[in-house]
Amino acid sequence: MEAPLKYIFDSIQYLKPEVAVSIFLAILVTVDLVLGKKNKQVLPYIALAGLVITGYFVTQQFGTSAFASVQHNIGNFGLIAVDSFGNYFKLIIILSSIFIVLFSISSIEIKQVFDRHGEYYSLIFGMMLGMMLMVSSADLILIYLSIELVSLSSYVLAGFTKQSLRNSEASLKYIIYGGTASGIMLFGISILYGIMGTTNLYAINTILQNGAFQPLALIISCILIFTGFGFKISAAPFHFWTPDVYEGAPIAITAYLSIASKAAGFALLIRFIKVTFIQTIGEDGYWQLLGVIDWKSFLIMISILTMTLGNFSALWQDNLKRMLAYSSIAHAGYMLLGLAVFSDQGVMAILIYFLIYLFMNLGAFFVVMLIANKIGSEEIDEYDGIAYKTPLLAVSLAVFLISLTGLPPTAGFIAKLYLFIALVDAKMIAVAIIALLNTVVSLYYYIRVLKHMFLTKPKVEGERITIGIADTVVLLAMLIPIFLFGLYFTPIVNFAKNSIALLGF
Amino acid sequence: MTLYDIIFYLFALVTISSAYLVVTVRNIVYSAFSLLFTLFGIAGLYALLGADFVAIVQLIVYVGGILILMIFGVMLTNKITNVQIKTGVFQILPATIGVGIFGGFLLAVLLNTNWLNLNVKDSPATTFQLGQLLMNEWVLPFELLGIVLLIALLGAASIARK
Amino acid sequence: MVTVSLYHYLFVSTILFSLGIFGIVTRKNAVMVLMGIELILNAANINFVAFARYGNFGFQGQLMALFVIVLAAAEAAIALAIVLNIYKVFSSVNVDEIDRLKE
Repeated sequence: MEAPLKYIFDSIQYLKPEVAVSIFLAILVTVDLVLGKKNKQVLPYIALAGLVITGYFVTQQFGTSAFASVQHNIGNFGLIAVDSFGNYFKLIIILSSIFIVLFSISSIEIKQVFDRHGEYYSLIFGMMLGMMLMVSSADLILIYLSIELVSLSSYVLAGFTKQSLRNSEASLKYIIYGGTASGIMLFGISILYGIMGTTNLYAINTILQNGAFQPLALIISCILIFTGFGFKISAAPFHFWTPDVYEGAPIAITAYLSIASKAAGFALLIRFIKVTFIQTIGEDGYWQLLGVIDWKSFLIMISILTMTLGNFSALWQDNLKRMLAYSSIAHAGYMLLGLAVFSDQGVMAILIYFLIYLFMNLGAFFVVMLIANKIGSEEIDEYDGIAYKTPLLAVSLAVFLISLTGLPPTAGFIAKLYLFIALVDAKMIAVAIIALLNTVVSLYYYIRVLKHMFLTKPKVEGERITIGIADTVVLLAMLIPIFLFGLYFTPIVNFAKNSIALLGF
Repeated sequence: MTLYDIIFYLFALVTISSAYLVVTVRNIVYSAFSLLFTLFGIAGLYALLGADFVAIVQLIVYVGGILILMIFGVMLTNKITNVQIKTGVFQILPATIGVGIFGGFLLAVLLNTNWLNLNVKDSPATTFQLGQLLMNEWVLPFELLGIVLLIALLGAASIARK
Repeated sequence: MVTVSLYHYLFVSTILFSLGIFGIVTRKNAVMVLMGIELILNAANINFVAFARYGNFGFQGQLMALFVIVLAAAEAAIALAIVLNIYKVFSSVNVDEIDRLKE
């Protein structure tokens, strides 16, 4: 017999951020019950406090590299790998959660469901817990559980306001596609378990290194598992839910799904591929993968398909939210290329990309939300001449869109630059050219919005749109980094460089 | 051909044929009741595999819980008195071909793979060992499951209430 | 008819998986689509338990099956809440009629 609760106490020092999130989840639920129908406006501030405390614990953890919840019977591998790579993504998730809570405070859509704010913030915390476990779990069982936790919360959040038709529809489509994807992934996991006899990624890697495996079954299981990951990062051909859900969900949640959920999916995919299939890492930082599956061609194919589909579909969109959904699919395609390089440099490019993508994409959604708060629509036609009504918002949106295109001097340029450097260094010139052409295509639909805002005369003379001090501060908090990182990017590059290490590799 | 084999073929037959009915019958209530037999057959397969606790949980949670939810879903979203209860189907032929190819391929690969196929003795009652695992090595996923259920409760209540 | 082995269980689970996919693709009613998803989850569960027994992998497979059953319950609860909500809004649960979001 082992000492009671030994496994909890042994690993609790590595799980402080997750424990903090769980405790604040409980606090939010309780406070909501105690407060009753009134005084719900304290909830977002409790949520913010919880996020800041969680962020503190994550920063405390930087530099640690250890297994939490160790399984002694399978070679001391653990369920959770705590490392700088995971902590970097946890910071991205927490940062975006802070912004989402701030968004929700000023979102009209969320304000309308005032009596359910307790559930709203609790679900956001539940989703965050799932994402933080996704980025650090090293065991397929925990991966499946955390993906499901994220999915279940986001199904509800996508249809949270439920008054509007498109809201409920988004939620139904999301749960049907999501349930299918995770079911298929589970079947893949079960086959992989049958081949390996274990679900721990590190243990699977040890078995693969020894060369004992069933090639065809392994390939099938990996393709099935990729369905689940591809769904989360909305890679083609598993992207079809994205436009509908992004358009239908409340804007704050759309923004959250496009950043945090995608970041968690990417971290999971990188960890899965690197930990499971790596053989050695060369001196120059290039990974030597086990020759079981040709991941490189597979990922290159998927990413080119993803970015091309995303960009070309975005060309024809009249709804700005839907256009941003397609653009986020395209961005997932660019970032997949960073993984397809299979080098530390490529991962570094993804890390830089995500940090910058966080600011520019959240910023774009925030402006769309503020304008929708006033004019009640996200149709591009409604944006005609909006620059005359609200110069600050129009200019900010222009900056965010230019940054999403990747033009200097914005931070988006730096993000793309590092990605292309990684591609060229790996001698993947042809792929780099395709990505570059895609960027050119994306220029068209981003600029189209600018044309509507600045050059088209408004059909009706509307009143001026003004925004409050608090919203302006939040907006500047996303606008300033775009220029700051565009000109002075050494700190984030160094930060990303220090965060590429996965536990054990 | 032992008794074990006969019981296996019986349960497998019940499972597969009722699963076929679940996805093909046009009457939605029949379909939900076929699901009952599928889930029951699967519980029998678990019992044959020596997983007694899983078999019981399958009966209690799936048959007793999820299926009831499903039937409630069917009842609440269809006017039973109406004839409207039949559901339409679409893309039958392409779906049959596509799923047939995919399923056949999957089946061919799985059945031709050389799995570890030991003839192990049936384990004794598994409840104790599963409890040990849940409280020791797997306590973290177990706790996480509690949070998942809390989230499901919150979410379902917040969506379903007026 | 030969002695039952792992392959027999794999056969059952793969058929269930394919039938589940077929149900998801062909069914219009959202509740029926959910039944297809349940079939897929059950197919995976049979795999877990069967592999664990015949490979002598210990109890991890059964544990996973338990986790999946609990998750399926949670998912079904949320899914049916959403379906009920949809029914209140659209007065229909057929997936192809719920298509206000344009292509």
